[in-house]
Amino acid sequence: MKKINYFNVIKELSWADFKLKYYGSIFGLFWSFLKPFFMLIILYVVFHSFLKVDVEHYTWFLLLGIIFWNFFADATKDSMQNITAKAHILKNINIPPFVIIASSLLHSFWTFLIGLGAFFLIIFIFGFSPTGTIFLIPYFIMLLTFFTVGVSLIIVPLSVRFKDFGHLWDIFLQMLFWITPIVYQHFLVPKTYIKWYLLNPLARIIVETRTVVLYDKIPESKQILITAGIVISIFMIGLLVAKKSSRSFVEHL
Amino acid sequence: MITIDSISKKYRIPHEKRITVFETLGGYLRNRMEYQDFYALKNITLSIQKGEIIGLIGKNGSGKTTLLKILGGVLSPTEGVFAINGKVAPFLSLGVGFHHELTARENLYLYGAILGMSRNEINEKLPDIFDFAGVERFKDVKLKNFSTGMIGRLAFSLMIQTDPDVLLLDEIFAVGDKDFIPQSIGILERYKKEGKTIVLASHDLEFISKYCDRVIFLENGNLGMFGSAGEVIKMYLAS
Repeated sequence: MKKINYFNVIKELSWADFKLKYYGSIFGLFWSFLKPFFMLIILYVVFHSFLKVDVEHYTWFLLLGIIFWNFFADATKDSMQNITAKAHILKNINIPPFVIIASSLLHSFWTFLIGLGAFFLIIFIFGFSPTGTIFLIPYFIMLLTFFTVGVSLIIVPLSVRFKDFGHLWDIFLQMLFWITPIVYQHFLVPKTYIKWYLLNPLARIIVETRTVVLYDKIPESKQILITAGIVISIFMIGLLVAKKSSRSFVEHL
Repeated sequence: MITIDSISKKYRIPHEKRITVFETLGGYLRNRMEYQDFYALKNITLSIQKGEIIGLIGKNGSGKTTLLKILGGVLSPTEGVFAINGKVAPFLSLGVGFHHELTARENLYLYGAILGMSRNEINEKLPDIFDFAGVERFKDVKLKNFSTGMIGRLAFSLMIQTDPDVLLLDEIFAVGDKDFIPQSIGILERYKKEGKTIVLASHDLEFISKYCDRVIFLENGNLGMFGSAGEVIKMYLAS
């Protein structure tokens, strides 16, 4: 018998997830656009029309933040749900749990890329021509992905060990949403807090992505390095946790 | 060849089970957690030769599945070591990983990948698999419309397309019909000739005595007896 090609397993699992998610629903993939779209409308009405937040290109500013945020929030939540949903596989077949986590993340990643593609299509249709610094966007997609993978690898074992971890994570996400500059600009944060505020890698990634996509600027190299440093540290911690917990947490499933 | 050297599997059963963050924190504050040790397997030592068909019998909860899971690498033993020469089929019971909302063909791609086959390989073997399972007509039907027996046959047919050296099977013939069981026994006999080692847990004593070279009898996690089918079954029935 041949050695199992884990990449092939990851690919087939995420493809099966993709089919299962959209099978038999009339709108199919359309649903994954509807969610960010409604989020955009609600936040736009509240913060632009009611609270008079005044930011250049606010619609696109908001939408880009939402798409990046949704990837992180959905991917981390789905990876926890997926491990429980696939418990029967892990309990009966000797495959490493990271395969299941990776397949879930791959699925979220494709949804994110499709959403991002739609974003660029829409801003193009509305006549916003992307700026020259846009060529940097793959770098920020990569950063966000590494961060999301790192966080998932850390929280999935926790969610298996503690059945209520999912609730805690929901609360944490709600908090994180507001301490990330999605609906507002980060320099509204008071000087006393900004040092701590900018330790949030998600905030840094979103700020820097907007800088290159919407405002035709390249962030300071010092800032870019700090962001990369934080993201890589979290990713390494994730790998370490995944390696240490390996199969042992399966017994808690 | 499989050698098992004094393997034990211990579970710690908390007196009050704490599976949430709050319960755990609360528990630490009040007192240390108290556990009761439970041995699912205790000090099992035995060795199996290449090409043997080994039966695994014992009452419910005697540790049959635990032993198979340890050999299959799904669980790790608390104490002891084991060694297996050759590749072990990475599954125990049939149909695990099958998803009922996917069609038979889609399930074969998914399950096949888990067993180490690429999409192309599966496509090549698809006619054989469906033919052996006898579900050709239903290849694009969702699995939820299949009977348990049909799912078992499909899984077994896919399994024989992989080429493992060691098979660990947990109660797989419980669902087959009168045509399928002789078919699968034919496969097991072919495997034996090819020198593959098979360990199968079953409650079907007739089947065990007919096809197994030797039989392991587990009693509350202890090795009750390991020997020729006739004697072991006699002891099992007397216990």
